Amino acid sequence: MTCGELRDSYELYSLGILEGEEKREIEAHLGRNCADCQKYLNEALAVNSLVLSHTPGVVPPSRLRRRVMASVGVERTGWTWLAALAAACALIVAMWLSVGKRTADRELAEARRTLQQSVAERDRLEQAFNFLNQPETRQVNFGLDKPAPPRGNFFLNPRLGVLLVASNLPVLQRGKAYEMWVIPKGGTPRPAGLFQAGPQGTAMHILNGAVDANVTLAVTVEPDSGSQSPTSNILFSAGF
Amino acid sequence: MLKRLIPISLALALLQVTLRFKDDADLARRLRAREPSAMRDLYDRYGKMIYSVIMRIVRDSGAAEDLVQETFLRIWNRIQAFDQERGALGPWVLAVARNRAIDYLRSTDGRMSAGALELERLEHPGQFCHIDERALSMDRSRRLQDAFDKLTPQQKTVVELAYYEGLSQSEMAERLQQPLGTVKTWIRSALKVLREQLSEAAIV
Repeated sequence: MTCGELRDSYELYSLGILEGEEKREIEAHLGRNCADCQKYLNEALAVNSLVLSHTPGVVPPSRLRRRVMASVGVERTGWTWLAALAAACALIVAMWLSVGKRTADRELAEARRTLQQSVAERDRLEQAFNFLNQPETRQVNFGLDKPAPPRGNFFLNPRLGVLLVASNLPVLQRGKAYEMWVIPKGGTPRPAGLFQAGPQGTAMHILNGAVDANVTLAVTVEPDSGSQSPTSNILFSAGF
Repeated sequence: MLKRLIPISLALALLQVTLRFKDDADLARRLRAREPSAMRDLYDRYGKMIYSVIMRIVRDSGAAEDLVQETFLRIWNRIQAFDQERGALGPWVLAVARNRAIDYLRSTDGRMSAGALELERLEHPGQFCHIDERALSMDRSRRLQDAFDKLTPQQKTVVELAYYEGLSQSEMAERLQQPLGTVKTWIRSALKVLREQLSEAAIV
């Protein structure tokens, strides 16, 4: 097929719904760095995004913003009732002690930061417990047969995603992070999120979203900006 | 009076769309620099749009919230591969949101499960490097609305099935109980109308 004959297929291709010969033809043209086809693809991506931007608006619940910020490790801007109550108590105590405004401010900020971290950690733990309580969650352990490697468990829930709990993780160089991978049967690894280990070498990482029930899960060490495919040897893995 | 108000309200809505995309390059630069405030700005700018697209696809608020979180995590984790000098942040964000929701939809009804990796590839930030920064401009948005108004009911149906249900043409034919050739004509003619209307916007 010529580029012109494929012109009407690029929106469908970039939506991931084109099948058969037309899809193979487009991939062949793009693989040859055909300039016209690249232009058509860019125009199709723009059309698709414009169509999606016309979706009638639905207001998300306010808690979703806090949840998203917590999931990427950005400090919360909202106040939970617990944080507000504790911060108020901290303020009263600071004033009562009359240790001076600057000292009180510093202590209050520290208390607030600690509380925010605690609340974020509590949310993560609640999410993990919810994950473990689901009847369809399955578990595979790793590292038990080795002398002192990373060890722990992968929990897979096809509807919710993957929960990884690991210990004995080695200390990483600056600029490095652990990256989890989901490897479908006969497929290539796809990134499943970055995480860091705590000072004791422990880590908990959650991948949210539906996951195929028959996959292999693996972890490698990658640049802390993440990789599209593994660039180092697999540190540990387990199959479901 | 009403006739005067409608164009004004439409213009205001479209102006908001334009302003939203105006400083995306700077926002992408701040995201790459891992500035925490950038993530908050990203959410404030696109959170409602992402939630709306995902809700339209999955029609379940609990699943939608999970998928919104997954979308933002994905943007945050992959922003280093995004070229803010040449890329279009809005189209990328919308593609990630739509593909996450379609992937979820396919996994829940057991259809085209092998397509997950393909969606991953199609939403790679490198794909969005050469898109016109005016992709979501006010003028194009207005022209798209004009184009939608020109579509027949059948064309609107197949556009809906393509964008919000992720059905292939053969799946559409089965769903609508129509010959495959008929469905192909509907969807391609619909997309041609949209594309040509937007091309006119580029010329004017």
